[in-house]
Amino acid sequence: MQIYLPIAELSVDVFYLLAIGGGVGLLSGLIGVGGGFLLTPLLIFLGIPPTIAVGTGSNQVVAASVSGALAHWRRGNVDLAMGAVLLAGGIVGSTLGVWMFRVLRALGQIDLVISLFYVVFLSAIGFLMLVESVRAWQRSRNPSAPRRKLHQHYLVHRLPLRMRFRRSKLYISALVPFGLGLIAGVLTAIMGVGGGFLMVPAMIYLVGMPTSVVVGTSLFQIIFVTANVTFLLAVGTHTVDLILAAVLMAGSVVGAQFGTRLGVKLRGEHLRALMGLLVLAVAARVAWTLVVTPDDPFFLAPVAS
Amino acid sequence: MSRAASALAAVLLASAPAAAQQPQPQPLVIDLSNSVVSITTGFAGADLLLFGAFDGQGDLAVVVTGPRRNETVWQKQRVAGIWLNGQSMTFIDAPSFYRVAATAELTEMAPPEVLDRLQIGVERIPLPVAPGTARSASPETIEAFRAALIRNKQFDGLYGLAPAPATVVGGRLFRASIHLPGNVPTGTYQVETHLFQNRKLIASRATSLTVERAGFGDAVYRFAFDHSALYGLVAILLALMAGWTASLLFRRT
Repeated sequence: MQIYLPIAELSVDVFYLLAIGGGVGLLSGLIGVGGGFLLTPLLIFLGIPPTIAVGTGSNQVVAASVSGALAHWRRGNVDLAMGAVLLAGGIVGSTLGVWMFRVLRALGQIDLVISLFYVVFLSAIGFLMLVESVRAWQRSRNPSAPRRKLHQHYLVHRLPLRMRFRRSKLYISALVPFGLGLIAGVLTAIMGVGGGFLMVPAMIYLVGMPTSVVVGTSLFQIIFVTANVTFLLAVGTHTVDLILAAVLMAGSVVGAQFGTRLGVKLRGEHLRALMGLLVLAVAARVAWTLVVTPDDPFFLAPVAS
Repeated sequence: MSRAASALAAVLLASAPAAAQQPQPQPLVIDLSNSVVSITTGFAGADLLLFGAFDGQGDLAVVVTGPRRNETVWQKQRVAGIWLNGQSMTFIDAPSFYRVAATAELTEMAPPEVLDRLQIGVERIPLPVAPGTARSASPETIEAFRAALIRNKQFDGLYGLAPAPATVVGGRLFRASIHLPGNVPTGTYQVETHLFQNRKLIASRATSLTVERAGFGDAVYRFAFDHSALYGLVAILLALMAGWTASLLFRRT
């Protein structure tokens, strides 16, 4: 059954969209990420113009992160102070990112930049996650190995403007989460992702936050950053397709339910290894489109709205 | 305007000799199955039926042209192993949609200069380049980009590969079916029908067709462009509600 997407100006099979939404929802329920990194490339493979995939993707991530953040909130796994500082950086970063998005689109290079961001960030993060989960798995089989410290001290902990984050049991410079939020905000605007795949490992390994509060806090701030991006893109570039977003959300609400049920049965390091493999697969697929000789080197620019 | 005027002139010229003689039936009458194509939420393309009557002699060609707009063609270039967007060229007033239906081979119907003048056949669309581009590019390059524009439009189903067959029924009636795909651009379409006898243009008739969004999709589109700030807020609100609903469902399980 075809459905006409009024902003994308084309009709797509509604069952493909429900399947994509469901698959991404399954993942967000399973692993606790928004799934934007998977959603945007899937929409592009389906023929949705990249700019609309990014704008609509960020809207869908709002929904996914709200449902995730609420679940973590009930368990007390959201560090509000940390979330607020991340958010301050995120708002600055996403506004900067939307501006970059518009400049790059005017230069005709936005598609390339979206693809390059995907390849670079996804392959780095996917590789790190895979390595970490394999190490964790080895540790669990060898309990005599030395335990990891609560957190390690790096250069980032010597920066000024120190702040106390009670829930995270940290006393660190506010510049660290602010900078992290800023980088994730830029990614949100350019890649149509929440940035959870980048922020979660950075919060654990770079900031030294306890793993229990990382996902909830990251999802909490992603709500606001993706909402900001959705608003700015809706106003500035008209690239948010509400009908597309609604169908995707319907699929992801159902998918996320199955994801959480499945998640209970799997172990943490297995989940992270799975996630790492998935992230690498997406990176490889995007890299392939950049490297392989196109069928037709000429293409038509999408009509500027 | 000038195109409409020239089409009108063609019609007047063609019918002038006939009008000078004694009253006689018009050589060509046409009509469309529908003058408005509505793109609703379930739209997956439509078939436009053009039908008419003529005096039974000669061949007919039907040209459907979508709203004209500037089109930019990019050429990907390999730089350090990666394909990125290199040169681009903008063509002025390219038809967003173009299809032809005919009762015979175009070249058998009329001499090339007549086909050129009436823009019958996808290779006869003028497609001039934007003034800035023309100065810096060689004619061969421009030709390659022009061919790429047509090829990409054909790939998207917006330009026909070859004229579709039009059928003559009972020697006096004809019908032509033109397919409008799901990605058909909105706007006003020109539908021109030309009657040729002995490789001469006898009559031309022009009519127009409106392709427009309708229903819910149209409302969403207008909302997005007319009240974009409110649209953004509604998009966020929708996502918040979807997420909240999802979390309620989670809690129950």
